[in-house]
Amino acid sequence: MHKAEMIQKVAGLWPEIVMLIGATACLFIGLSKGKGPRRSTPWIAASTLVIAALMVCNKSGTTDEPAALAGMAGYIKLAVAGIGLILLLVAAGVPNRLRQSLDAETAKTFEPGDVMTGEFYAFFLLSLTGVMLTAGAGDLVWLFLALELTSLPTYVMVATSRDRVEAQESAVKYFFLGALSAAIFLYGFALIYGATGSTEFTEITRIAQEQIAANGGTPPGLLLMGMVLAIVGVCFKIAAVPMHFYTADVYEGAATPVTAFLAFVPKTAGAVALILLLSLVGWPLPAPIASLIWLIAVVTMTLGNVLGLLQDNVKRVLAYSSIAHSGYILVGLLAGPAVNEAAGGTGGALGDGIAAVLFYLVAYGLGTIASFAILGCLRAGDREAQTYKHISGLHKNHPFLAALMLISVLSLVGLPPLVGFLGKIYLIGSAYGAGYTILVVILVLNSAISAAYYLRIASACYFGEPDESVVSAGQFPRYAGALIAATLAIVLGIVGNGLVNASRNATTPTQSADTGHLVQQTAAATATTTQID
Amino acid sequence: MNIELIKLIPWIPLLGAVLCGICCMKPAWRKAAGPISVLSIFIPFLITCGVYSAASSLVGDDKVQTVYQWIGVGQFQVNMAYFVDPLTMVMLFVVTGIGSLIATYAMGYMKGERGYARFFMGVSLFIFAMTTLVMADNLVLLYLGWEGVGLCSYLLIGYYYEKPEAVAAAKKAFIVNRIGDLGFALGIFLTYMTYDSVSLSEVTTQAKIALANGIDPTSADLWIPFLLMLGAFGKSAQIPLYVWLPDAMAGPTPVSALVHAATMVTAGVYMIARLIPVFQLSPYALPTVATIGGVTALFAGTIALCQYDLKKVFAYSTVSQLGYMFLGVGALSTFGGIFHLFTHAFFKALLFLTAGSVMHALAGQLDLRAMSGLRKKMPVTCWLMFAGCLALAGFPFTAGFFSKDTILAEAMVRGTGEHGSTLFFWLALMGLLTAFLTAFYTFRLWFRVFMGPEHFEMGDDHGHAPEGDDDAHGDDHGHAHEPHEMPWWPMNIPLAILAAGALFAGLFFGGWMDHNIEHSTANPTAVLNVQADTQTAPAYDIITVSSQADTHATDTHAPAVSDHADTTQAGHGTDHEAHRAHGIHVMMMWVSSFIAIFGIALAGYFHWQNRPLTDKIAAKFGMVVEVLYNKYYVDEFYDLTIVKPLRGLGHLFYLFDQFVINGLVMTVGHLPRLAGWAVRPTQSGKIQGYGLGMVLGVAIAALLVFKWAF
Repeated sequence: MHKAEMIQKVAGLWPEIVMLIGATACLFIGLSKGKGPRRSTPWIAASTLVIAALMVCNKSGTTDEPAALAGMAGYIKLAVAGIGLILLLVAAGVPNRLRQSLDAETAKTFEPGDVMTGEFYAFFLLSLTGVMLTAGAGDLVWLFLALELTSLPTYVMVATSRDRVEAQESAVKYFFLGALSAAIFLYGFALIYGATGSTEFTEITRIAQEQIAANGGTPPGLLLMGMVLAIVGVCFKIAAVPMHFYTADVYEGAATPVTAFLAFVPKTAGAVALILLLSLVGWPLPAPIASLIWLIAVVTMTLGNVLGLLQDNVKRVLAYSSIAHSGYILVGLLAGPAVNEAAGGTGGALGDGIAAVLFYLVAYGLGTIASFAILGCLRAGDREAQTYKHISGLHKNHPFLAALMLISVLSLVGLPPLVGFLGKIYLIGSAYGAGYTILVVILVLNSAISAAYYLRIASACYFGEPDESVVSAGQFPRYAGALIAATLAIVLGIVGNGLVNASRNATTPTQSADTGHLVQQTAAATATTTQID
Repeated sequence: MNIELIKLIPWIPLLGAVLCGICCMKPAWRKAAGPISVLSIFIPFLITCGVYSAASSLVGDDKVQTVYQWIGVGQFQVNMAYFVDPLTMVMLFVVTGIGSLIATYAMGYMKGERGYARFFMGVSLFIFAMTTLVMADNLVLLYLGWEGVGLCSYLLIGYYYEKPEAVAAAKKAFIVNRIGDLGFALGIFLTYMTYDSVSLSEVTTQAKIALANGIDPTSADLWIPFLLMLGAFGKSAQIPLYVWLPDAMAGPTPVSALVHAATMVTAGVYMIARLIPVFQLSPYALPTVATIGGVTALFAGTIALCQYDLKKVFAYSTVSQLGYMFLGVGALSTFGGIFHLFTHAFFKALLFLTAGSVMHALAGQLDLRAMSGLRKKMPVTCWLMFAGCLALAGFPFTAGFFSKDTILAEAMVRGTGEHGSTLFFWLALMGLLTAFLTAFYTFRLWFRVFMGPEHFEMGDDHGHAPEGDDDAHGDDHGHAHEPHEMPWWPMNIPLAILAAGALFAGLFFGGWMDHNIEHSTANPTAVLNVQADTQTAPAYDIITVSSQADTHATDTHAPAVSDHADTTQAGHGTDHEAHRAHGIHVMMMWVSSFIAIFGIALAGYFHWQNRPLTDKIAAKFGMVVEVLYNKYYVDEFYDLTIVKPLRGLGHLFYLFDQFVINGLVMTVGHLPRLAGWAVRPTQSGKIQGYGLGMVLGVAIAALLVFKWAF
């Protein structure tokens, strides 16, 4: 890469640079002796996110992303910064937990919770930076580093989120299995490099297309092997089969607000990475890769849903549902961008699979973050509220939380007029347009299965007998986070057009001039978040 | 006034509805609901008046006022957008103007009711839906308003939800409307498939272009009007879907006046008028509309002859008058149809509200046989209703006279002459017969209630004001034993305004209305203001060149275009036709004047001067009276042929569902759980197992792919 290109690339990375500066500031201020400065770290994190979001909106030039996906980086960065703010609200109290569980005397002399404050927010910001970098990746090495930057902080966040051995256990599991998956997809990246002789996406795409064309429609062995390992490895990030094993254990072990983070942030990074990887071979995907993803999608959604049926622990239910949603996302990835759209033909009203995935990530994120946040608002005695028993009869004592839970699970089921419905419609539309009819049928059947456990959550909240040991954890920001996420799930479901267009423009190069304008529309939604924050 | 304000019109009543909803919460707040609701309807009326001149001068794309983008996926665009043309403005005047008057009356009428705030919430919500309906720029938004008014109608008919007949009537209205709405929805789908758009401006333009080019109608062109028509017949209570409207009178009287006489039920007429080019494309559509309208008018008119329930008489008369409107639009006289809609809103609202006053005074009594000679007790109501009756009967120079005459004359113009069709000739004759029946049954009612010896039986609705109704009209109401006059405010003043409208609206607003319709998409004779490039020109800039339209209309075997005898046509080439039309108009005026006066006189003789003779005659024709009283047994017929078999089928399906489907579903329902049990052991919690699983997964994936590839 030439020096001039390098400078240009860095110029496009200002949001990420701001995030890094914010993370460093959090780390340093978190070390200070005074309580006041340490307490300011969540505010620093919040303002960092706001500034980063504003910078994304103002960003004029684009980096050298694959041309077909110009604008995706902006969309993802903005979505991550916006939803990051909600996540920050939800997670704001997490590192201070020790003060709640230890008695007042100990807390006065030793405040480990406050000591950890700075680190936690620094890791929080670093992980989000990783997603932003992933979205802007134009190079295999870059992609790998960005993915790892997303994941590594989360291991620490899981470990330090609770003062219980379960948290440490799940952090260790998460770390080892994460490392294994990183090894797998790094091997895949190496093979892709070996097959094409380049790490740059534009170059790889060009060579790969030539090789595929020369090989009669299928990638040659080395490239194919590389793609398979890379895809399956990255499946760890989105928690798809066969890399899904960790999900339930880790989600259960982490503190609930951190679980909300895990359910959205690494998954977004993984989905974006998959979009970039698949764009190397281009849509319609070569037959072997298409069938692989078809199979992974079907097994992932089915497995997630049938296992979700059996759980008594709501966190585990939501973990399995998160696996199932990854399966839905893969459907959109399989469909790919609208084929005829660029040619001016009718690519179908709902044709663009990639746009559908980008939209669905936000739709899913809102629903799942809201439901985890609501769980996080509750405590059963001195433990987290986790089971159906704990949320049963929520309506009687906490009608507000019960209503939010109802909205979020209905959005996850995909009921109109909530945003989850729009998300599913776009996914299904794109898959149908691309000719995957059987896949659509399986997706719809799976949605029906998922309704069984989602509605069980809702009915537990509304029709169960209250568990008297369950009390509100009483943290205002977390309520606010749940409220904002659920409200957005309704609002975007009704007037989600700005977001839909933004996601479509993110994948349509010809209209990229409009992206800035539409991104600013989406920024209005973010601005609401900012005010409440 | 700024045209942008027009975008606020539907939202103010919605805000009002929300506020009324809040008022429901505390008894102390309930009284505020009435004024809030009235204001939320009256402010849009003021806006309508204010923007009228600006709105009428809009051209081209400015007529579409977009609030925000509602649905936009690829090429399917549905916006929260309003189409503002003179027809919209006319409808807005009717909806908000008549709406404000009726809501004001209702403030007094509903006083002391337990669901006071709930009632006004429904009314405001209705106005929101109705204004959305008439302002919608696309069929989807129109459908939203269409279903919205249906919902409000359901809620308001079922207002007295403790009464089983009210609940049954609400359900009946809702279900019968579903049948029509199914057709309407299918019509919208087919429209989208055919025109690739649901925008009214776009669809009417394309239809006009197709019409102007004289293209042979495709099968979609033939079907769309019939599907849309079904929706119109459901909403506007025409044969065969009219049965819900008479029962809908179970709702409070202001609702009958607002929803089931003045506004909602005319939505079908509005829709057909709005989409008249689409209907013109199908050579059979408009004659069908006219036939159904004409037959319904006569049919409902005969039923109204023998009803004893005050509100039922007016309900059937509404069905009958709606039939006239359909006859009007079917005869390509959208001017006549909409004009009659306009005048009918005045006099029918007036009639219902005065009937409500009578009912109020007699503690819920509605039976004609239980009242007589009330003119001394209720002089104001007596003469207000007289004004309404004159207009309904079509007495010369009242509002109803002008509008009804326009429709009948246009039908007659279509039915005679060189290209005249016998169908329209007979329909015009049926219309004349109906006009006679209308005059007769209207004045039968009026003479019975207000003339003759004084006699009344109170109804059983003694608890009309249960919650300490101390301030308003209720000084003599606590002891409801004597009929009493209604107070001027808030009840009789709105009625007086309506009465003025009923008497003079025809005289003063005819030309205004003609001008408005002529400059809207509802003008059937308009051709596009385009010569060279038909594709790009704005749709709705239309000019009136009737001779052209005439030629092509005959080319396509579409119903020959009517000539407006009054103003627009003369000197446009077809002088002969214009003269003939003018002659018919003049002749019809004389004929219908005579018929109206004759009907009124006959009613006066039979129902005022010589009631015993009437009873004797009625006894002689007992069979006929019986059949008419029982409304031709149509309800019973529907019950026997549709409701009962469906219910039986429902029972059958229920059994099938219970024993076959349910068993199947329960079995299938266990499958996912079984699958879950099968794979559960993979989630052991052991990290070694997980690692092994992942590596195995990668290996399997690699093997599968390579097996596939090579």
